[in-house]
Amino acid sequence: MSYPWSEDVITVERGPEPGGVGGAYRVLGETLRGLKTVFKQALSKPVTIEYPEEKTPVYPRFRGRHKLHRFEDTGLEKCVGCSLCAAACPAGCIRVVAAENTPDHQVSAGERYAAVYEINLTRCIFCGYCEIACPFDAITMGVDYELADYTRSDLIFTKEMLLADPIDKTPLRAEGE
Amino acid sequence: MPKPEPKLITFEIDGREVQAPEGMMLVDAARLGDVEIPFFCYEPKLGAPVGACRMCLVEIEGMPKLQTSCSTPVKDGMVVSTTSERVKQAQNAVVEFLLVNHPLDCPVCDKGGECPLQDISYGWGAGRSRFIEPKRHFEKPVALSPLIAIDRERCILCYRCVRFSQEIAEDYQLVFLERGDHTFVGTHDGHPYVAPFSGNIVELCPVGALTSQAYRFRARPWDIEDAGSICTLCPSQCNVKYTTRDDTRVLRVLARDNQGVDDGWLCDKGRFGYQAIHAPERVTQPLVRDGGALRPVSWERALSEAARALARAGGRSAAIVGGQATNEEGFLVQHLMREVLGSPHVDSRPSGVLDPAQARALARPDLTAAVPDIEWAGAVLVLDTELVDEMPILDLRVRKGVRRNGVRLVVATSRPSSLDPNARAVVRFTPGAGEAFLAALGAALGDGRGLDELAGRAGASPEAVRAAADALRDAGPVVVVWGERLSGGERGRQAVARLLDLARTLELAGTEGAGLLEVPRGTNARGLREVGCLPNLAPGLADAAAAGKSAGEIAAAVPEEISALLLVHADPLSSHPDRGAWERALDRAGSVIAFADFLTPGLEEHATVVFPSESEAEKDGTMTHPDGRVQRVRQAIARPPEVLPNWQVLAELCERIGKPAGVVSGPAVFERIVASVPFYEGLTLAELGGKGVRWQERDGAGRVPESTLPEGGLEEPPPLEAADLRLGTAPSLWSGPVVEHSPILRFLLADQRVELSVEDGERLGVSTGDEVAVTVGGASVRGVARLRSDVPPGSVFLVEGTQSENATALTNGRPRAVKVARAAREVTPA
Ligand code: SF4
Ligand code: SF4
Ligand code: SF4
Ligand code: SF4
Ligand code: FES
Repeated sequence: MSYPWSEDVITVERGPEPGGVGGAYRVLGETLRGLKTVFKQALSKPVTIEYPEEKTPVYPRFRGRHKLHRFEDTGLEKCVGCSLCAAACPAGCIRVVAAENTPDHQVSAGERYAAVYEINLTRCIFCGYCEIACPFDAITMGVDYELADYTRSDLIFTKEMLLADPIDKTPLRAEGE
Repeated sequence: MPKPEPKLITFEIDGREVQAPEGMMLVDAARLGDVEIPFFCYEPKLGAPVGACRMCLVEIEGMPKLQTSCSTPVKDGMVVSTTSERVKQAQNAVVEFLLVNHPLDCPVCDKGGECPLQDISYGWGAGRSRFIEPKRHFEKPVALSPLIAIDRERCILCYRCVRFSQEIAEDYQLVFLERGDHTFVGTHDGHPYVAPFSGNIVELCPVGALTSQAYRFRARPWDIEDAGSICTLCPSQCNVKYTTRDDTRVLRVLARDNQGVDDGWLCDKGRFGYQAIHAPERVTQPLVRDGGALRPVSWERALSEAARALARAGGRSAAIVGGQATNEEGFLVQHLMREVLGSPHVDSRPSGVLDPAQARALARPDLTAAVPDIEWAGAVLVLDTELVDEMPILDLRVRKGVRRNGVRLVVATSRPSSLDPNARAVVRFTPGAGEAFLAALGAALGDGRGLDELAGRAGASPEAVRAAADALRDAGPVVVVWGERLSGGERGRQAVARLLDLARTLELAGTEGAGLLEVPRGTNARGLREVGCLPNLAPGLADAAAAGKSAGEIAAAVPEEISALLLVHADPLSSHPDRGAWERALDRAGSVIAFADFLTPGLEEHATVVFPSESEAEKDGTMTHPDGRVQRVRQAIARPPEVLPNWQVLAELCERIGKPAGVVSGPAVFERIVASVPFYEGLTLAELGGKGVRWQERDGAGRVPESTLPEGGLEEPPPLEAADLRLGTAPSLWSGPVVEHSPILRFLLADQRVELSVEDGERLGVSTGDEVAVTVGGASVRGVARLRSDVPPGSVFLVEGTQSENATALTNGRPRAVKVARAAREVTPA
């Protein structure tokens, strides 16, 4: 099939010719408009956060690095080593090995405590299911998000690390902020 | 009692037509129609249902009230509903009721995740409770025994544990105490529940009331994997499941129900002995004696030393194979000895020579009873063996047969047996006089001529022998369960001839469900015999090209004729008679090369090279049950890094000595075995599968070498020599390295005890608890005296295989007259 050649006229639209009063206005006017923006921003408060000197605040329900808790009055661990969090975890990154409390070695409130409690944070997807599964509110999602390290194995958080308070506190955003 | 033939009937359940055998309980029959009825207390293994929990209620048309389906047999035309409003309400109510006093502490409960109470509450409960009053409380957890913890708050009073103790193990220790909601499980006298089969109640308990102290809090069901295998600690070869975590640790052992083998029970040694696998004392590196002590070395060094020593000894080497060796290991050992080193000396029997013709007669398929035959036999004769110590699971089988099917039990042993109270006739004969007893029994079964004289030679009472004969006569199929001890010693051959004669008299060969069942000393004794680990038998029970020396002769031939000893899972110092001879032999042998997982005394002092061997959970191979069932031992966990499979080490030794065995894997060795043992023909590992296969039930069974039963021509048993006290020995379930190295079992470890009759005790001025010495021919064994009223006067019994003061120091295969005296106070060296 042959292409039907069109006999239509082709028109080309051009911009205004340079020079003249119009030309001068166009050059200067636009420059001034740009400068106006520059000066306005130079005087406004910066939005950059000077990380790591300064930290981004997060909302209270932010799901960051987990925390294990103790009872405030007795100091005993709330976790009884039931492994329910491990069962709930979709990433399979929690490992619990339980053991039995003895009168001279009472770690948790019940008969049983977690002798080993590890979360492999390289695999955690921060879904928070562990927190939901825990029958004793022993594990909660904290707000800490600084989770970089030099080796993977350093990111397997042990019970002691999860029980300890974070070194730097992550600032919280107030409600509605 | 003959096995009843099932008849099929049709009934209707939830609108479906289902066919089921008549008389089957509704709860089981429902399952045939894919209908699930929840239950707690029903457990057919425990015998008749008790209807204790009411969880299994169903509605049956024509019956005004709901019925417990666990105790209602199906009938033709029954119309059953499990989903009607009434049933639902009842199920909700039962769950709510069971939870009234339940602590609901699932997160700390060991059963959580595998708990029928959780599952049934979730599936059939209403999900709420109206009970707001305080729950009843008990002290918890309490140790029911060093092996079992009990949490009485969780108990739902289902009766399972109590029924096990009362009706299966028949130890009569567990009972319900108190009443109403104060009822709790305990022992009737408040003592710990210590019994050979106690661990089974942990598996039976449908809630977390009974938990294993060894497994307590070790893992959750989602942390673990199950690995099927068999227990290799005694000839019962019970089918087990290892619970493993992270592929490296065994955390628990559970039963894997196999009707043909264990009936779903385990003894406590099998259940808790896994702890020895992870014992720090285990040998996990090759060791070589260097400067007087065994030191860890590289595999290269150990292999080259062993190969050099064996090659140098050549035909002057000998092998002792222990019962824990698999068929594959046994086959390679005899190959190494016979084909590679040119030495015919290989033995796997601690108790002396077995005549080749007799070995073939004993292996006749028509003469071998299968384990379930015990349950349905007319009569069972337990001959010269204490089942609870030597093959524990058979003890439960015999009890089951007697209790449920009215099997007539005859116990004929030297030492009082725990089966005596169940027996219709009990005969006590002098230790080592099994042959004379069999002669007397033969006379009593026949015309009775010479019975008194023969019974006298056996040291048995003629009345008892006559009663035994009466019980066996016209009883229907008879199963004779006989101990390897009978065939041991100097007159073993004559005793086996008598046994075969008894088999002929009782027509065991022609009778369905009758036969002989040997209780050997070693776990895999039968398999090792069949793959050629006897001095005069080649693989397949054929005559060996050159007859070798038996274990006892090997010991006597060191160092003149034998210079290198290969000990495969064996320490003759603890397992073989005549300890003195073995001490000399091990001392004088140029090299002693051992495969072992623990350094038992003989190896510790005498071994020159020790290869670490795999534990039972790390092994792959096959074993043959005493009734001919070839079963697979399967690897459950990874081996410790420095442990190599034994077959590989044996193959490597063959190669280094210059004659490669030509096997590249464990299964390849099995193929070689199948090719060399005619009656294993066609067996494959896939066919063995999870439950094993009795070779007698396959086509290859016809290829056992022909043999006939002896007709007459039996020697007269020798008269009893005059003796004051005759020595009998018996192994204990609680001896050996496994018990020693399992922390939880150690409290059961057998010490040497001297059992005497009350009369002899009084005569000698010995009372229970005294330290006494038993002496014969210059050797002496010390132990704690125990006077028992059921020990016949004139006999004294010692334990074999104890850690120290082993009875083997006094035995030598001949009847022994011993002296017992209170031991002088031991002077402890300063
Ligand atoms: S947050 Fe989710 S992925 Fe992370 S440990 Fe908890 S359950 Fe596992
Ligand atoms: S954190 Fe909670 S769910 Fe996880 S083991 Fe401890 S108690 Fe159980
Ligand atoms: S302890 Fe367990 S098995 Fe025994 S009665 Fe209670 S719930 Fe049943
Ligand atoms: S009866 Fe024997 S095979 Fe069974 S569990 Fe006990 S030791 Fe193991
Ligand atoms: S299972 Fe029927 S009453 Fe318990």
